[in-house]
Amino acid sequence: MKKLAYLSLVGLLLLAACQQKTAQLPADYKQLDRPAATFPDYADVVIPPNIAPLNFMVTDSALQQVVVHYQTEGAELAVGGGADGKVRIDTTQWRSLLQAARGHDVAVSIYACLADSGWVRYPDQHLSVAEEEIDSFLSYRLIEPGYELYRQLGLYQRNLTNFSQHPIYENNRKYDDSHNHCINCHNYRNYRTEDMLFHVRASHGGTIIIHGDEARKVQIKDSTIITAGVYPSWHPTQRLVAFSTNKTGQTFHIYHQEKVEVLDEASDLLLYDADRNEVTHILRSRDQLETFPCWSPDGRKLFYCNADLTHTVDLSVPDSILPMHVIAKNDSLYYDLWSLDFDPETRTFGQPKLEVNVSRTHHSLSVPRVSPDGRYVLYTLGRYGQFHIWHMSSDLWVKDLQRDTCYALSAANSIGAPDSYHSWSSNGRWIAFASRRLDKNYSRAFIAYFDREGQAHKAFLLPQEDPEHNTLLLKSYNVPELTRDAVHISPEKLRKCIYETEGEKATYKAPSPTLPRGEEVNGISGPSPLALPRAGRKS
Amino acid sequence: MSKQKNKISKDSRAAEQPQSVADKGQRYWHLLRVNMLVVFFLAAWVWASVYYGVVFRICREYSFWVANPDQMFFVLNQPGGPLWYVGRMLLQPFYHPWMGGFLLAVLLTVGSWFCGYLLRLRGRWQWLQFVPAGICVLAFTYLGMDLFFEAETGRIMGIPAAVFVCLLVVAVAFRLVSRKPLPAFFVAPEGQTWKQWSGQLLAVALIFVCSIGFGESRRPYVRIISQLMEAEYRQDWGTIQRVARKNAEVSNRPIAAYYAIALVHTDQICDRLYDIRLEFDTMYVHGMDGLQNTAVSLYIPEGSYHGGFMLTCLHQCMEQMVMTGPTVRLLHLMVKSALMRGEWELAEKYLRVLRDVPFEKSFCQKYGAMVRHPELVDADSEMFKIRMTEPLRDSFESQYQQPTFLGYNLSLVEGRSLNALYNSLAVCLYTKLMPDFSARINPLQGSTTPENVADGILLASNNFPGIEQGFANLNLRLPRLQAFMNAIQPYMSDRAGHAKELFPRYKGYYPYYYFFGNLRATSSKQKGNMSSNSGVN
Repeated sequence: MKKLAYLSLVGLLLLAACQQKTAQLPADYKQLDRPAATFPDYADVVIPPNIAPLNFMVTDSALQQVVVHYQTEGAELAVGGGADGKVRIDTTQWRSLLQAARGHDVAVSIYACLADSGWVRYPDQHLSVAEEEIDSFLSYRLIEPGYELYRQLGLYQRNLTNFSQHPIYENNRKYDDSHNHCINCHNYRNYRTEDMLFHVRASHGGTIIIHGDEARKVQIKDSTIITAGVYPSWHPTQRLVAFSTNKTGQTFHIYHQEKVEVLDEASDLLLYDADRNEVTHILRSRDQLETFPCWSPDGRKLFYCNADLTHTVDLSVPDSILPMHVIAKNDSLYYDLWSLDFDPETRTFGQPKLEVNVSRTHHSLSVPRVSPDGRYVLYTLGRYGQFHIWHMSSDLWVKDLQRDTCYALSAANSIGAPDSYHSWSSNGRWIAFASRRLDKNYSRAFIAYFDREGQAHKAFLLPQEDPEHNTLLLKSYNVPELTRDAVHISPEKLRKCIYETEGEKATYKAPSPTLPRGEEVNGISGPSPLALPRAGRKS
Repeated sequence: MSKQKNKISKDSRAAEQPQSVADKGQRYWHLLRVNMLVVFFLAAWVWASVYYGVVFRICREYSFWVANPDQMFFVLNQPGGPLWYVGRMLLQPFYHPWMGGFLLAVLLTVGSWFCGYLLRLRGRWQWLQFVPAGICVLAFTYLGMDLFFEAETGRIMGIPAAVFVCLLVVAVAFRLVSRKPLPAFFVAPEGQTWKQWSGQLLAVALIFVCSIGFGESRRPYVRIISQLMEAEYRQDWGTIQRVARKNAEVSNRPIAAYYAIALVHTDQICDRLYDIRLEFDTMYVHGMDGLQNTAVSLYIPEGSYHGGFMLTCLHQCMEQMVMTGPTVRLLHLMVKSALMRGEWELAEKYLRVLRDVPFEKSFCQKYGAMVRHPELVDADSEMFKIRMTEPLRDSFESQYQQPTFLGYNLSLVEGRSLNALYNSLAVCLYTKLMPDFSARINPLQGSTTPENVADGILLASNNFPGIEQGFANLNLRLPRLQAFMNAIQPYMSDRAGHAKELFPRYKGYYPYYYFFGNLRATSSKQKGNMSSNSGVN
């Protein structure tokens, strides 16, 4: 027994020795003028003090060895890498470094041993460590990019302070017509996971409303509602959800820089009461496309996007050919930012107010998200349409509601690649968003610092344990959402709810006699010729 | 005495006569004393590499394996995932069918050896040791394209490997417990008679004869389609044409599609398309849902790529990748399409993924060199050819009949080259849409048109008088058409019933196809006159 304990101790010491082994900085090296070719690019970014190690790789050819030296006031760290150029940083050491560097800069010196020239040192890079932490959890859907079909997909939650990723829910792993289903539009209330929801489409379809550790399935559908609820936004103070309901289709370019065009031929806004399981229309019209609702943090204003079809599409055509007209005009559909005042006590809405008019300059705005302090509305601006994650022209913009000005977040934006599906951290200092900037196809989660002056800084790729993770992964990061805490409900419980319940049908409550705007029409239903559905059409 | 002698010698000769073959066999067998396991191994190796090797090679192309478990999560997270992971790994050597065939033959043969050992099979029952391996071989032939079409390719080698491992474990345990030695592998067991040996030989022969017989009679298209696909990977257009024409009567859509691809690349799409029967018999192939499938996904991405529709190719590849996970074949097409579109980062990404797949070094080297070098892309003979038929302007897939590479060409109004026009004319002829065909022939006036186009003009001229004006070679072909029209009159009442019978006589002749070919797809409204009404198929 004594011998065993002794051996264990020796083993632990050896292990600790291995872990604490620091790389040796080369004594002789040649200073280079050109910056190191690295992936991901973490040069000169502002990072949260609680972020996981920024593992990266040096991609210079003929690399034999690499050493990276991080230096800040009162702390330093040297990390070595082999011929694959991968630099993997110990999490504990990294945390110590970031704690010391909080509110300061870290100098990053990269040394590489090249086959032809021996040790070289590249010009130093810098990391700025912000004072403010980022919310610890980022949830997203992993799914192949675009197109019609789906098979294995899931909602996952990543702990940003380390590399652990856990499934919130994964659909059926094995193809089975009676169980194939898609999941989408996960959304949280007030950056907390206490109240959350997501949709299930196809088999076992419905909207899953989660409260604490309990999940229930509801069917937000009525003959007057176009489809079920789609893009959600939780009311910050009440258990209300504003949904858009969209008749969405997609069509595929045959010779274009972009690949897919996702369009709505109809859309309205709904208000769902999660406690009473009641749904009512907020806005309902045939000539307006209202979508992407978003509450202000005080819950007294609802922002949304709206496109006016009146002058774009001939609405007198029969419903059966309307989609073809919409497709033909796809690059002339312009969405503006509107808002409605809301009285939480009486649950009544005011008249629509135009907040940002971009259609007049032949642009389109999508996915408004209000900052936690209520001052900024973050949105994407593209050339046209609303599904900007497939539009190369899509960039992040903000409207400063205090100063009534709009501007691009140029430092965070990519050049010629889509940036969209953004979310704020609860302290308003960080934004997480999806961008296809790496290869214009696979969306990846990026994080950018948003300073007190309302400017975003250079965005950086969500760090991964293996720096090549994002290159090798053949799925996209979809709808990254920041939350302060982890999702508590287990995948098994969600599976049970999805598979074993039909879903309570929401009671449709007729809207107040005076709808804010728009003409009331019968719900539009029936298959859309915009896309050719198959067993697993993406929703 | 002499009579008696004569009688004896006659009797002995009579007795010797039937024994001589057996004696000879016995004599040679005594010389060789080769174990039937060795014979089985050689037969299995030849079968798995020469006969069915091309099918297994396609199975490998429709599979994907890298060592990194994160990248294989889509397989590992399924029931039986770890086994399919191993199976996919063992499928990789089929990049060289002789190598994969060797591995499979080893698994089957050694498995049979263990089987014989564990069941203590001796003498006349020893042939039973080949039963599990025989079932495996026959199952491969029976499944045919179901081996790889929307299927888990890890099963192909995974199941034999699992059975092999189980037998190995039990055999080792049995050996340790019973201490009975394993029978010899190379040399026939002591005491085995020639009769027993030949009985085993018969059993082994029966396995492969049945497999080949079943394959050739009930699944003749499996090897043909595999050969065409394999040749397409090598850009060997000559082999595709040779194989397709040699099997002209075996008709299905994948064969027609790959044949058309080869014709596009050799500028013969308007000359030789009808050298093969285009009737499209049903095939034994099933989709993920377990239902009979038309197997269009075997050629839609390839057809889109070779037709110049890179985005449609990427679209179709992605749809298939979503359903089946990545495959080598899809990644190849996506690399090439991305390169054609100048999407260098995307091409690099797929090349990086491929770099970890065994045997993909040469592909990665060849196409990796093209990244950020558009001049090398355009210098590639295959890509250069495809570039000439890329669309000039954007539109949406939903605006055309499907598949896009047919639908778009039916609506073609402008093209980059004469090749684009020929593709469009070929599609119009194939779909028998003569008004569309007639609307597109003007640019060819004054030239000697390809044979099918000339025949098409003559057929169309019945409904569109005057369109034949200005074409040089029509008069020479008119008498043949007239003779054909007279000859087919007796068959017009039941064209579907006579189509196959008339094919050898009119092979390659477009008017035959117009009246007798592809009838199910080209509408029941087809009345045998020049006004056509048909659909894209």
